[in-house]
Amino acid sequence: MRKVALFALLAAVLAILPAGAADQALIDAAKKEGKVVVYSITSRIANAAKAFESKYGIKVEAYNLKDGELIEKVSREVAGNIAGADFVICQDSGRVFGQLFAPGYLVNYVPDSMKQVIPAQYQNPLIFQFINKVFIYNNEKVQTPVIRNVWELTEPKWKGLVQFKDPKQEGVNANFLTMLTSPEWSAKLEKAYEEYYGKKLVLTTKNAGYEWIKRFFQNGLILGNSDTTISENVGIKGQPKTTLGLFVYSKTRYEATKNLALAPMPDVKPFAGFMYPAFIMMTKNAKNKNAAKLFIEYLLTPEGFSPWSKDVGSYSSNPNVPIDKDDFPVSYWEPRLVFEDPAYLFENRADVEEFVNTISAK
Amino acid sequence: MTFWNRLRFWIRKPQHIILIVLVLVLTFLTVVPLLSLVRDTFIVHPSEIMSVRGSKPGDFTLFHWRKVFLDGERSYRLFYQPFLNTVIVSLASSLIAILLGGAVAWLVTRTDIKAKGFISTVFIFPYIMPSWTLAMAWLNFFRNGLTGGAPGLVTALTGWVPPTWFSFGAFPISVVLGLHYSPFAYILIGGILKNMDANLEEAALILKASRARILLRINLPIVMPAILSTFLLVFSSSMSAFAVPAFLGTPVRYQVLTTQLFRTLNGLNPGYGYIMALVMIVVGLGILAINQWYVGKRKSFITVTGKSSNISYLKLKRLRTPLTVMLVLLVVLIAIVPLLTFLVESFIMAPGDYRPSNFTTLFWAGEGREDIGGGEPGILLNRSVYQAFWNSIRLSVAVALVAGTIGALAGYAIVRTRGTKLSLIVNNLSFFPYLLPSMAFGAIYLSMFAKPFLLIPSLYGTFALLVLIGAVKYLPFASRAGINAMLQLSAELEEAAIIMGVPWRKRMTRILIPIQKSSFLSGYFLPFISCMRELALFVLLVTPANRVITTLLLQYNEKGWNQWANAINLLIIIVVLLFNTVINRLTGASIDKGIGS
Repeated sequence: MRKVALFALLAAVLAILPAGAADQALIDAAKKEGKVVVYSITSRIANAAKAFESKYGIKVEAYNLKDGELIEKVSREVAGNIAGADFVICQDSGRVFGQLFAPGYLVNYVPDSMKQVIPAQYQNPLIFQFINKVFIYNNEKVQTPVIRNVWELTEPKWKGLVQFKDPKQEGVNANFLTMLTSPEWSAKLEKAYEEYYGKKLVLTTKNAGYEWIKRFFQNGLILGNSDTTISENVGIKGQPKTTLGLFVYSKTRYEATKNLALAPMPDVKPFAGFMYPAFIMMTKNAKNKNAAKLFIEYLLTPEGFSPWSKDVGSYSSNPNVPIDKDDFPVSYWEPRLVFEDPAYLFENRADVEEFVNTISAK
Repeated sequence: MTFWNRLRFWIRKPQHIILIVLVLVLTFLTVVPLLSLVRDTFIVHPSEIMSVRGSKPGDFTLFHWRKVFLDGERSYRLFYQPFLNTVIVSLASSLIAILLGGAVAWLVTRTDIKAKGFISTVFIFPYIMPSWTLAMAWLNFFRNGLTGGAPGLVTALTGWVPPTWFSFGAFPISVVLGLHYSPFAYILIGGILKNMDANLEEAALILKASRARILLRINLPIVMPAILSTFLLVFSSSMSAFAVPAFLGTPVRYQVLTTQLFRTLNGLNPGYGYIMALVMIVVGLGILAINQWYVGKRKSFITVTGKSSNISYLKLKRLRTPLTVMLVLLVVLIAIVPLLTFLVESFIMAPGDYRPSNFTTLFWAGEGREDIGGGEPGILLNRSVYQAFWNSIRLSVAVALVAGTIGALAGYAIVRTRGTKLSLIVNNLSFFPYLLPSMAFGAIYLSMFAKPFLLIPSLYGTFALLVLIGAVKYLPFASRAGINAMLQLSAELEEAAIIMGVPWRKRMTRILIPIQKSSFLSGYFLPFISCMRELALFVLLVTPANRVITTLLLQYNEKGWNQWANAINLLIIIVVLLFNTVINRLTGASIDKGIGS
């Protein structure tokens, strides 16, 4: 009897403990290392690092890199067994699976406290967050969405008014274009064309995905170097014509401070943009293993994720992390956005990049 | 005399020792990387397993060569068209740099134009700024409605909307690169003109030659080597410039080799990139060959002799004041106005709104706000800015010391043994790094030194590697400066000292270096400033922990955090000018070699 009572007590204590609290042994070991190095594709890691430093007294060296740059650095450093990052937050499924996961440069680590919390399909490789880029228009003059169907963007009325980040500069943008050429999405694009125009699409390329990319680019699409700049160019007030862009949803957070007019269009057919995961993984040769584990665990908690969760456009893989009050959960976006399929990307990304390079030069 | 005796005698001369050492070291540091580059065009790289089906990294393949050159329309877009664009832009920017820099150099050194000190100092500014920041300034001024956003300043002030060819593409890229590199022309051409003995001009005047004829038959031939050097430098630099075409070409999708190089080296197909780099090197070698053919053909261009030389200025008379005003205005326009826009833009909160209420010191001294730039603190409170700045400064100083010293010695040895095969080899080797496109050079050093290589431990991630590549890359500046300085110097000066039994070290430190102090010092300055604003060379080699200020700056620019970027850009210029002033006070020399004073 006594044993059972003890068990019940233990279970009760365990239940009261806040989910995600790190294990004391790990904290001690991490403090002994005293330092952790992280390479990250999101700049807000700096804020999380500051909070982590003051909570645990462990020094964080956080570096913000572009996705391709991060892949190059990590593969060099781990392959040469050079001390660099202890863990990384990386993106670009088209490359990281083949270049970083397959050769074992990055190692998956799911904290015990998260194994029951984070949905199983997000655990290997462990997803840190989802990020989305959606069609956003300048709502200074018009308050209702200015397009309903992506094929409208290939029409003369939008010539030279649409902005998109150069897919050469960021892998996830190339991934999005690649996914459009998949059987699933080219079929949807074909259907959307028929619904909108009431006639069959006549192809000049392999399929409807390639066709849309071609017409989209050749309709005076403006390529930018930065999503922030694009958000300013689209959103600044007093422009003669209504403009729109396909860029990171979280940039709408600048609306007030920078006096921009920006509103998303989540119901464009057949997609309103795309969504991609950022992975959180340890490097094979991590020097500060424990501190890395502790920081990873921390980042997956609502507290650790707060630099991201206070705005729209960031979605933790941990369902307990609240989502911004103006935003919707991933389940809302799932049917509306294009997601990455690593296997399809691995096979086709190079072809699509070549295709884009061929059609997009003037 | 036996062979050994002859060798012993030969090796006793310091210039020969210098040459031998340089041949060995430079072969290792430049020729070996070149071979490694060639090898890289034939193998499968880790990121290419997607495109070269069924291959393993390291396999031999002809895939890259076929794709780049023989794949019809795709090759045209990938290589031929960007190649043509590169040639056009590089030629145009060389022309602009030589005409502008040469004209200003002539006015400052050979005429009695006023405000020489001011012009001379300020004209160098565009070279101190990282090149793409000038491109940003161009966009601030001449942006038309193409990319949306706030209208450019010109439109806001005058209502004139520039046509798209004026705002983006080949024209602005050429102009910006031309302006950025015109200080090259100014320094190199001005350095020769300044020391030119006016007796030559006067002799011609006595013979009743016209002004135009003097300019054409005397001044021009004397500066011809400098013009060719400038052309070679500007063409190669423009060819390997990445950030300017990236900013000004991307909106209209104007592709050059470097934008393709960057995409492929950092993306899925580094093999393509290595081939393009090789092509750029071959083009550079072609120009170098022309240059050499010309220099070899001419007789001599000694301008500093043991004899007294006489410098007199051309009297501009009635034109003096108008020309001065025009030149000052021009210099202010291309060198000061962009700085002012950086200054203003670094204090602006919402873009395009210049009302006082919109000004903020957040980006300089603010703690950072969560809702802007993710809470990035202002640059004066920013740990990473200080760290990167300190890295840049110590790197630039180290590179300048190494490159400058080696360059001066190389110049001495090359000129003293002029005409021998060895001299020619070292001359070419010491210039060769200039023809290696920075980004590709960085990529090769990365693969060479990421693992232990011929007794050298792995250098990746060390500061030493950055110094090494910087010193090699900028050796051409230093060796050119050294060679120019020595070529102008008649050998009789040193011969006199040799006869007197003065040892070599003393001859260098007491005679040669003091006479040509400013020329030699420019061999230290050019690497220093180039290094302060170099990006492409280091971008692949820096680990996040030893990153330099330019990589941080580009990152801010790319994110569109222009206020921080503008503030950092101003800081770079201020620091370089501060260095210049200090060194000027201490030694009397300066970046512009005191051409004006």
